Amino acid sequence: MNILVCFTVIPELEMMLGEDWFVDENLQIDVGFLKHSLNCYDESALEIALKFSDAARKRHVSPNLTALTIAGPEANPILKTLNALRFNRVVRINNHEDIRFNSMAIASMLHQYVSNRMPQDVLLMGWQSGVGENAKTPLLVAEMLGWPCITQVTEIEPVDSHHLVVTCQVDDGQLQQTIQIPCVLSIGNAPNSYMRIPTLKDRMQFGRRTAEVLDANDFEPFDEGIELVSLDVINRQRSAILIEGATPEEKAGKLYKSFLAKRLNKL
Amino acid sequence: MGLNREQITEELIKIAGAGQVITDEQVLKESSVDRFRRFEAYHGVFRMPLPAAVVNVNSTEDVAAVIKFANKNRINVIPRTGHSATEGGLEAALENSIVVDGSGMNKIINIDTYNMQATVQCGVCLQTLDDLLREQGYTTGHSPQSKPLAMLGGLVATRSIGQFSTLYGGIEDMVVGVEAVFPDGGITRIKNVPRRAAGPDIRHVIIGNEGALCFITEVTVKIFKHFPENNIFLGYTLDNMKTGFEILREVIVNGYRPSVARLYDVEDGSYYFSHFADGKCVLIFVAEGVKPIADATAAAIAEIVSQYEECEKVDPGLIKRWFEHLNWDPGNLAEEKREIVETKNICNTTEISGNWSIINEIYEVCMQRVRNEIPDLTLLGAHSSHSYLNGTNLYFVYFYNVVDCKPEEEISKYHLPIKKIIVEETIKAGGSMCHHHGVGKHRTHWIEKEYGSSYYILKKLKQAFDPHSIMNMGTIIPLEN
Repeated sequence: MNILVCFTVIPELEMMLGEDWFVDENLQIDVGFLKHSLNCYDESALEIALKFSDAARKRHVSPNLTALTIAGPEANPILKTLNALRFNRVVRINNHEDIRFNSMAIASMLHQYVSNRMPQDVLLMGWQSGVGENAKTPLLVAEMLGWPCITQVTEIEPVDSHHLVVTCQVDDGQLQQTIQIPCVLSIGNAPNSYMRIPTLKDRMQFGRRTAEVLDANDFEPFDEGIELVSLDVINRQRSAILIEGATPEEKAGKLYKSFLAKRLNKL
Repeated sequence: MGLNREQITEELIKIAGAGQVITDEQVLKESSVDRFRRFEAYHGVFRMPLPAAVVNVNSTEDVAAVIKFANKNRINVIPRTGHSATEGGLEAALENSIVVDGSGMNKIINIDTYNMQATVQCGVCLQTLDDLLREQGYTTGHSPQSKPLAMLGGLVATRSIGQFSTLYGGIEDMVVGVEAVFPDGGITRIKNVPRRAAGPDIRHVIIGNEGALCFITEVTVKIFKHFPENNIFLGYTLDNMKTGFEILREVIVNGYRPSVARLYDVEDGSYYFSHFADGKCVLIFVAEGVKPIADATAAAIAEIVSQYEECEKVDPGLIKRWFEHLNWDPGNLAEEKREIVETKNICNTTEISGNWSIINEIYEVCMQRVRNEIPDLTLLGAHSSHSYLNGTNLYFVYFYNVVDCKPEEEISKYHLPIKKIIVEETIKAGGSMCHHHGVGKHRTHWIEKEYGSSYYILKKLKQAFDPHSIMNMGTIIPLEN
């Protein structure tokens, strides 16, 4: 069974200073000072794949795990980690275009990779990235491939080389389905959101394997996409009132008398 | 025959009031440990003797009354404020201890910008004090990573140090005066003077006592004028630690005092700086103060570093962003708990110090031994963060997967063996096993070797001030049985 986990790396935006939130004429924010880390939903997807692989081997099913990202060299530290975690193949499609909000272009490249370069049986990816936040990519890839797509997946377990048990969140609880591959699985709020950590020995032994680097120019371009026309920084500041007081008791008293008492009485 | 738990609680209620005495089992469990045992605590395992109660104190007189009662009845007392200790100093070593929590003593008593000192109760959070000072153009200069959580009583008790120590000093340089309660219930105040030669400096009996001699109730610290607009950030990558130590030494020995002077090895550096220093050591300086001083310090450092060809300058913007996000907060701790429980991977540290002539040797031998002797490591690195005329510290950082063992076995399988290697190699080389986290309860095994013949002084202090052995027993000095 060939499993492809698609992931993205995003800048650690919480490390930005106020002055950094400036949109330039190319509609870019300078994130050059920032470390990049795994998008949290993709991190879940990667760990789910590893857990699946552990379980599958016990059932004598040997999945082949590939991790793939469309990114620049900022993804390289993550690729080393994934190699150290013994993904069978680690791939980076070196990207030159602004695809932050262009799910169609991303989906097209993934579709071409699976169809033309490396056939897969299961695609796993986080339901959305912390930058684009549109939740479209898994659905678009599934549509392009003609595969079923299950969303809000939280867990997968092996059955045999052609079937999986997929657990997902639905409105009123959890749904567990046994499905036949191929399929696209969009990972939602999984209970395990952190990926395991490779040991130093594994990093020495496996982490130095070279990631496969392809170029986005080697893929057919997808011309119909979203054109970014403006980018604005949302002001998330909220007004506040500082309650002064020498002790917590005094402050609590002021808070109650000045702001809460009337509201509570109304209730 | 000593008092039982119920009797202890009853008496504490008479002293402090029912609302101030906590006997909730979960609170008592969490009060029996500190961050040293957080792996097992996060998994709901609490193995230390359960305290009889946590008593919240609101005044120095409350503290005196509680401690006097404990002394009379030979009950172990654990002084506490921010609960951010890392070395087991807050662990309950004995049954039916009383945890005396001073976090409610949180008044900022006086900020004196003429005499440049601030007086606060022990439960004032350092972040709160520093934020208030910064609004007025001042700072304590004290910035340990636990700043949003740690309180002044505990910071003084553990002889803490902050990330800007190269300019402002450690807490021992900042304390002007202090008030403390000793086991007999006596309240002692050391007055606020700039300096005196009226016998030994008795502040140093209190600073660093880790609750083993007294309970600190009030602290006066120096304050400094703050000029953040003049901060200059300098960062370099280089190939090896030995060169980095030489550069640090040269900067300090020539009299320059950047607030930050840090050297990260490749592994520790990769945790923070992989986006610009993959596979390299990292050297960081921050020059601050009035503009002429900041400019001169930065220029001098740049000149010194330029003489080392292997050093490559990095964009100061990278260092500036790192600088603005130095500290923990409660959100970080909550996320840490989740991550540890999910991944079974945990980070621990051991900090030591040594003279310039031995520090690189300590670094290399410790790294080699830990790497070869300890299983399941996922990161092993170190950085120097506090430099002095005659040497520097090393902060060993190690992450490991906890594999094939129960939560309560993590310490004995991983953390203590790593600490043993680092402590023993450091003492053997002539360094100190304990730079700034305190001895706690888990380095007491080596305390006599740490002190040598001067252990006599430490033991006498304990005997003199705590003759009935009630103050945080097992801390600094090991329990006899």
